[in-house]
Amino acid sequence: MGTLRRVAVITGYEWRRALAKKSVLALIILAVAVQTLILTLYSQFTAGTMFLTEEVKPFMWILGVLQGQGLFVQLIAIIIAGSTMSEEYEHGTADILLSKPITRVEYLSGKFLGGFSLLALVEALTTVVGVILASWFFGPQNSLQHVPLMFLAIIYSTLIFFCLSFMFSEALRRNTLAMLIALAILIASSIISQLLVELYRMTGEYLYFYLSRGIPTWGSNYFPSLLMRELMTIPSTAFLNLINDPLIPIEATKRGVSEAILVREALQQAAIIVAIYAIIFILVAVYRLLKSDVTKKTA
Amino acid sequence: MGSHSVINVLNLTKYYGKFKALDSISFTVDKGWVYGYLGPNGAGKTTTIRIMLGLLKPCQGEVQIAGVNPSADPVHSLQFVGYAPELPTLQTFFTGEQLLDFMGKMFGLSAQARKERVWQLLDLVGLKEWGKKKIGNYSKGMVQRLSVALALVNDPMVLIMDEPTIGMDPEATAHFRSLFTNLSKEGKTIFISSHLLDEVQRICTHVGMINKGKIVFSGPIEEVLEAFTQQWVVEAELENVTKSVVSSLKKLDFVEDVQVEGNRLMIKLKEKKDMRGEISSEIFKQKGVLLSLNLHKITLEDAYLRALKGGQ
Repeated sequence: MGTLRRVAVITGYEWRRALAKKSVLALIILAVAVQTLILTLYSQFTAGTMFLTEEVKPFMWILGVLQGQGLFVQLIAIIIAGSTMSEEYEHGTADILLSKPITRVEYLSGKFLGGFSLLALVEALTTVVGVILASWFFGPQNSLQHVPLMFLAIIYSTLIFFCLSFMFSEALRRNTLAMLIALAILIASSIISQLLVELYRMTGEYLYFYLSRGIPTWGSNYFPSLLMRELMTIPSTAFLNLINDPLIPIEATKRGVSEAILVREALQQAAIIVAIYAIIFILVAVYRLLKSDVTKKTA
Repeated sequence: MGSHSVINVLNLTKYYGKFKALDSISFTVDKGWVYGYLGPNGAGKTTTIRIMLGLLKPCQGEVQIAGVNPSADPVHSLQFVGYAPELPTLQTFFTGEQLLDFMGKMFGLSAQARKERVWQLLDLVGLKEWGKKKIGNYSKGMVQRLSVALALVNDPMVLIMDEPTIGMDPEATAHFRSLFTNLSKEGKTIFISSHLLDEVQRICTHVGMINKGKIVFSGPIEEVLEAFTQQWVVEAELENVTKSVVSSLKKLDFVEDVQVEGNRLMIKLKEKKDMRGEISSEIFKQKGVLLSLNLHKITLEDAYLRALKGGQ
């Protein structure tokens, strides 16, 4: 049996393990419910306002797809990844799996792919639901050919917090602790990011600008919306402000360049930052698994 | 390493922080042996097993299973190894059938082979009725049985079991004892860590004794009994113990001492030879009425306790 087959066996196992957990199923249902609620509220309370103009309505699918991305998808990523490795140690089942003819890298790869593909499935579900609800509430939608690319961008952007939680899952070998630390970093990172934006707005110091872009949430939050701006022209500033990186309009005014140039620049930076964080977190997890003993039942 | 060595443990040392769990231990297990691995709690039995399976990394030395180091190449070394852990925790979201099928997949068995093997094994361990039920509903003894079935899913050449019958009822214990003996007859090498010395004495061909991280003895079971036997004793029960019987027995050249305990005589022999014929003749000569006559050599438990006390 080759490496790919062994990785695929563990991937399939990880699916079954994750789906057997009621908390994961509950979160998926909750994510779809919140998404439905958000679009319902927009359709009910923004009709006739500056925000919801007739020109914007065909692009409301973007909101449906991106609104959940900032909070719920990251949260689900943290929950799925946080339990991936740690629960096997806590339950003592890591012994059973790793005493079989499989290398530790194959095992970790299968676990990672299992968790991440499950997350992708959840995101695919919320993307489809977002598009359907937008069509339902706001009529025919435009630029739907970009939906698959947007979906991939969202999935890519979740890599930071998925890998972060995955790393803590392996490093700490405690499910709750891994999830709590990853969640704390997500929240702290969001708050610090906002503070840095405000500091940059007030002082104009580039140190704050670069620091805010180096924060994990910047890449994970704005990569999909930056891609969306690169792909499509949205005819509403009010709508854009909902999903836009706030530094772009400030920077455009300051440097006297068009936002399009800055969007492209930021998109490249976001892609690189996501990749760097993900690679570092995965390498730490691999190093930990390769260099340490398989701990016995810890829970 | 001998030409038939299946398990070869060489100068294995393992530290947990500053605690030395294994102190340069070495032993080999040949093909077809049933090797009982004995030692008190914390002696290093489970640590040895976990290194043999590549779960722990030794600080020094190495283990080879069929000539391959499981830490370096688990794919090839563990392909023909079955492992049943002590008090296993299995994946409760699976049914017994699903878990066996999954483990079959991990060993690369085809769908058809898995289908046949799964129900054959469930039948073998007495869980056929429970195959479709979630493992979360199994009792401890049933989980233990399933764990043995899991260890056999790949028809292993080497079976490593850590306290395999713990938590089982006496009937199941007897069934599994017979199963292990049959597997050994099929040529499989069995490595059993156990506290049940009686069980080990019944099914093992060889034993290894470990204490405080050091191997105290490793070899054939007869050798360990011989090595730790200090004296053979004949116990004679008489209807009535008379002074003439005792004094005449004491005069025999192969008797070292005779102790009287009620109507029993404990006759200590100078050599490890069965002298019951001579002893019964002497008693009859002295008109004693013999009710029973037993030779006490040594049990594995005696040998084990002596070994732990540093008797050898």
